Amino acid sequence: MSTYVYALTGAGQPLPLEELRGVGEPAAALRTVRGRELMAVVSDAPDRLRAKRRDVSAHQEVVEALMRETAVLPMRFGLVAPDDEQLSASLIERESAYQQRLEEIAGHAEYNLKASRDEEDLLREILRDSEPARQLNERIRTGQGTHEDRVALGELVSGEVAARHRAAAERVENALSSCAAEAFLGEGAEGHFMNTSFLVPKEREALFHQTVRTTADEAGEAYTFTLTGPLPPYSFV
Amino acid sequence: MTLVQQSSATSGGSGSGNLYDVLELILDRGLVIDAFVRVSLVGIEILKIDARIVVASVDTYLRFAEACNRLDLESGRKAPSQLTDLVGDMTENGAKGKSKGALTGAVEAVTESLQGKKDDSGQEEEAPRKRPARKSSSSRQSAQRSEG
Repeated sequence: MSTYVYALTGAGQPLPLEELRGVGEPAAALRTVRGRELMAVVSDAPDRLRAKRRDVSAHQEVVEALMRETAVLPMRFGLVAPDDEQLSASLIERESAYQQRLEEIAGHAEYNLKASRDEEDLLREILRDSEPARQLNERIRTGQGTHEDRVALGELVSGEVAARHRAAAERVENALSSCAAEAFLGEGAEGHFMNTSFLVPKEREALFHQTVRTTADEAGEAYTFTLTGPLPPYSFV
Repeated sequence: MTLVQQSSATSGGSGSGNLYDVLELILDRGLVIDAFVRVSLVGIEILKIDARIVVASVDTYLRFAEACNRLDLESGRKAPSQLTDLVGDMTENGAKGKSKGALTGAVEAVTESLQGKKDDSGQEEEAPRKRPARKSSSSRQSAQRSEG
């Protein structure tokens, strides 16, 4: 029977495992596998486990519940050990590295901040600032533009969009970096110009929230910020 | 500005309402032990590749050019579409649908397909349907084929 791993934490502490439901259908019962100073929270791995929403959600709920109790190193979704014995051996083999990281993230939580800007607002700004873009745009709008003009305008604007997004992301990250222990820059997708995770110590959480709010206020109407957290420190293990 | 604050991905009684916003963290980050395997993420991998579609290409350029052409420059800055608002613990992502355009058009379908999956699995959890294997094998997406 292979073993599905949710998170690592210090050995011997009581955890409310009977209240939690693991991956699989029906949901697997949770238990622990002990190394020496560390233990892993695990369940039997269901046959043919796939990344279905229900299972990803179960993984996340287990790790979040554990995080409320103690410092944990969250595993990436879908990690399966061949059996308990090999997992235990692995915990012992890498004990010092895991323990060090556990100590470092203790009392911290991850916050993910995504930011986007209304596209029309940005394009207007670019056309206002760039004479060449304005000229190309005018030529195309009056029916004189060639295919090459359209590509040239798009390329110019695309470059400006990227540069302005980068600058905006840096402004936000700089404002927040003083409230966070570490930052992890993720890839922007879905039009977000920023997708950054911050590792925030508990005593600076209020300040972090306040700074996010101030930054969002200053950014103006065209911006949308989505702050998610506290989360298990997925980006910092 | 709009600031959406979500206390966590799975809280608020909404099941996994905000899971999409942290999906990449759960699937892409987190600790791995090299010696052990990860389950197949078929379907999810495709999703992530699609979400990185924003590439520098002629198609992208043309979309930007078109978006510029469409702008009504005479009217000046668009009136704010909504008042400054602060939303706590939203179960739906307030940013969805707000910023559609050249930047987001390409990944729109991907988002929708995941949300579709959410609805499906939500139904599964509340009222598991017993489908004969024969019937469920027809036209579902790969991520859902392993039901049962």
